[in-house]
Amino acid sequence: MPTSRDPGDLLQGTLRILILKSLLLGRAHGYAISRWIEETTDDVLRIEEGSLYPALRRLQDRGLVTSEWGLSENNRRARYYTITRAGRALLRAEASIWLEYSHAVARVLRAEPSIA
Amino acid sequence: MSDRTPRWLRYLGLVRPNVPADVDDELSFHIQMRIDRNIAMGLTPEEARRDAIERFGDVVVVRSALVKHDERQHATERRAEWVSDLVQDLRFGWRALRRTPAFTIAAVLTLALGIGANTAIFSVLHAVVLQPLPYAHPDRLVTLGQGSTGEYLALRERLRTVSDLAEWVATTDPVDDGRDALRLTGVAVTPNLMPLLGAAPMLGRGFAPSDGAPGGDHVLLVSFATWRTELGGARDVVGRTVTLEGLPYTVIGVMPPSFRYPRADVQYWMPYVIDPKNIGLLWGVGGKEFVGRLAPNATLDQARREVHAVWPSLRTLNPVWDPGADYRRDATATPLKSNVVGASAPLLWMLFGATLLVLLIACVNVANLLLARATARERELTVRAALGGGRGRLMRQLITEGVLLATIGATAGVAIAVFTVRALVAGVPTGLPRANEIAVSGTALAFTLAMSIATGIVFSIVPALRATSAAAWASGSMLGRRGWGLRSHTRVSGWLVGGEIALAVMLVVGSLLLVRSFAALRSIDPGFDPTHVIAARISAPEATYAPGTERLATFYAEVLDRVRAMPGVRDAALVDQLSLAAPLQGLAIRVQGQYEDVTRQLPFIDHVQTVSPGYFATMRIPLLRGRSFTDDDRADQPPVAIVSQSVARRFWPSGDAIGHRIGYPYDSPWFTIVGIVPDTKQDSLRDTSNVTLYMPWSQRTQKVGSELWLVARTTGDPRAAGAAIRRIVHGIDRGVPVSDVRTMEDVVSASVVGARFTAALVTAFALVSLALGAVGIFGVMSYVVSERRHEMGLRIALGASGRGVVTLIVGRALRLTAAGTAAGLVCAVIAVRPLQRWLYGVSVLDPATFAGVPIVFAAVALLASYLPARRAARANPAAAMRDAAAGAGG
Repeated sequence: MPTSRDPGDLLQGTLRILILKSLLLGRAHGYAISRWIEETTDDVLRIEEGSLYPALRRLQDRGLVTSEWGLSENNRRARYYTITRAGRALLRAEASIWLEYSHAVARVLRAEPSIA
Repeated sequence: MSDRTPRWLRYLGLVRPNVPADVDDELSFHIQMRIDRNIAMGLTPEEARRDAIERFGDVVVVRSALVKHDERQHATERRAEWVSDLVQDLRFGWRALRRTPAFTIAAVLTLALGIGANTAIFSVLHAVVLQPLPYAHPDRLVTLGQGSTGEYLALRERLRTVSDLAEWVATTDPVDDGRDALRLTGVAVTPNLMPLLGAAPMLGRGFAPSDGAPGGDHVLLVSFATWRTELGGARDVVGRTVTLEGLPYTVIGVMPPSFRYPRADVQYWMPYVIDPKNIGLLWGVGGKEFVGRLAPNATLDQARREVHAVWPSLRTLNPVWDPGADYRRDATATPLKSNVVGASAPLLWMLFGATLLVLLIACVNVANLLLARATARERELTVRAALGGGRGRLMRQLITEGVLLATIGATAGVAIAVFTVRALVAGVPTGLPRANEIAVSGTALAFTLAMSIATGIVFSIVPALRATSAAAWASGSMLGRRGWGLRSHTRVSGWLVGGEIALAVMLVVGSLLLVRSFAALRSIDPGFDPTHVIAARISAPEATYAPGTERLATFYAEVLDRVRAMPGVRDAALVDQLSLAAPLQGLAIRVQGQYEDVTRQLPFIDHVQTVSPGYFATMRIPLLRGRSFTDDDRADQPPVAIVSQSVARRFWPSGDAIGHRIGYPYDSPWFTIVGIVPDTKQDSLRDTSNVTLYMPWSQRTQKVGSELWLVARTTGDPRAAGAAIRRIVHGIDRGVPVSDVRTMEDVVSASVVGARFTAALVTAFALVSLALGAVGIFGVMSYVVSERRHEMGLRIALGASGRGVVTLIVGRALRLTAAGTAAGLVCAVIAVRPLQRWLYGVSVLDPATFAGVPIVFAAVALLASYLPARRAARANPAAAMRDAAAGAGG
């Protein structure tokens, strides 16, 4: 949760949102998800790619994504993940909390006196 | 979560997804993609790889976490899937069964019979044979057989492999508890018996070692049942006094209901008092049962060897007589269980085998029904196959239906079993040991459940295989209604019915053998005429009527006089041991001029009966030579005896036995033989040793108690005299119990009750199998007729007579039956071999039986195929032609 002080929780919560958001574009395999995150965040939120997979399993256990085997663009066997309806709903709810939170933080930081 | 394997394969648990391989695929794909990209970006392969792995993090940790997760996930999924598929199959199966009620009822009834019979016999088998005895470490208990107390003491001292040894002997004594006289069954046991078996009283105390020494208190332990019924069930029973043989005994405790050693009908236990000074009693009287517990490190085999070595060495110890060179050559130790269970074990296994045959026949029958129904459901199955059901899925569906059917049948079968077990236990009051432990137990129910699942699979597998292969084929080519060959269905059915008949033949052969053996047994002449004779046991208490006293003689003389005076009574007599009621006691004798030295081995007469003068007339045993006993053979007259023919032949093969003299196995006056009678059956009708020595009751006081049997010959129904005899005895003395009032014919029947029970039970199984076989023939012939309706119609249209058609169909049934019968007879030659031990006067390969069985089955085949044949003969030629034309056109 974004409100938690535990960096692990913060990371997981963030990772969850990143994964779900990436899947809004359509089904994708793990590598595609990590590439999307990389490009969208300009590599700012650098995540350890390996942690993506346990996170995906957790999402799947909670019914937020589903998976199936398919063929990749270069004809290799790959596992594809798809966001579920519940996943979209959760993403919406969490996104609004995040936005609210970051707005609040931004307001605080912009308030007088200026930091700089 | 690989989707590569078909669902049904995973459902059956045949194929497991390869979780580690899948995880490796996924992760290596990721890393390979990254490497490819890195190379495209211009890195060297080496750098590309390093970067990819660095970005990924700890591959090993991630991999193992994923494998663990996926495997757990899989197990859960498979379970859920399995359950949901099963529920779906069951729901579908239930609907399918309800759609065809006639089929369902027929199948359920057939299975209920098969499973019910099986469960009932298994319950008995389990309780009697399979379950351990209800004692502590029962597998360590052994019996050494029977012997005298002197031998007991010597063995107890000498045996190293047996840590403790107890002896017991049955005693039957009138117990007077202050109410009307009653007769209780008890055993006298050495005080160590209960601790040896690991049993203790539930109320009060057990025997103390001092209870078994001379001069101890007279104490009793009573059985749970006796405590509840005869003694009122109050807790203050401990300390109460009851009278045994006129002596007061104190009840010191009540044994728990589970303790019923040595038999279920034992009502009390008293200490067996050993007086080491009474040498005659110690060594002269045998018949004590020895039961022991193996020493901690001893094996049964060691005990056997030791007993076999030690017991014969006691020969020189016997101060009374020399038991001879053959003394105890066969001494051994047997597990207590096999001793208790005895001959019942092979009998129950045999009956269990018979019920297995019945169950197998039931399975075949239901398989046939299923096969016929699968034909009717052909279109449904084809559609399901075409909709992508898949062969495995269809097969599973059919097998699930079969198991469902079997489970319903098993439920009905358990009801039958509960009822049957009760009837079985009631039907064999004396025949089965441990009868009190028999019930449809949890184990038996578990057995039934396993049985029904197995039967469900067995009888549905053939129809399922055939139906699904056909359905798959039909769905592939989408060929019309007759997609798969009815002809081949008939062929499979024919095989099944043939097999069914073969199984039934084995049962019928077995049953005929047993019935013929029973008939042979019943036709044996016991040597006396049991019709119109009533017997009653009169147990004069020895306290009031001591053996050999004038008072006892007067009492019985009065009883005899009054019974003889009854209207409808021709004759009456007394005998100490009734023939065919229980094994008779024998006696070692001296024979003048042949065996006189009592220190050497003396000849043994198996049966000795002490009788009153009218005995031979009452039992209609003709006198071959000499005279019968008379009232003049009083105690103060020279002792006389009568012997049966075999005795006379044995000792005086060439001369006349009359006038020769015999005597007790110790120095005492000689008895002169005054008469010879034919041999009679004494212990059982199968008895081959029929030597009997008769002695007049008035002259024989030793070894005969005050209890005697009264036998009376009546003009009418002997049963009517029973109540009158009881009244007469109680009119003279209310304190004398009268028990076991039975007609002699009942006594004779009761002596063969085991044979009758076996024959009746196996015959019942055989009849069921015969009926099932008839149903099977009827079913397959009906099917043949409906399948060849066109052909029959055409034949008739072309001028064949109805008779010709009937002959055709019946002939086919007969051929089928003949093949099945032939196969069955061949199998029976081997299968009935174990019956040998229960057969009397009939060979296991009895020609009459083996010749009769084909006739029985031919008759059954005729009956079962006649109806379908007649239906065929009445086939409407016009309709058949029309159908044929339509078939040809479309």
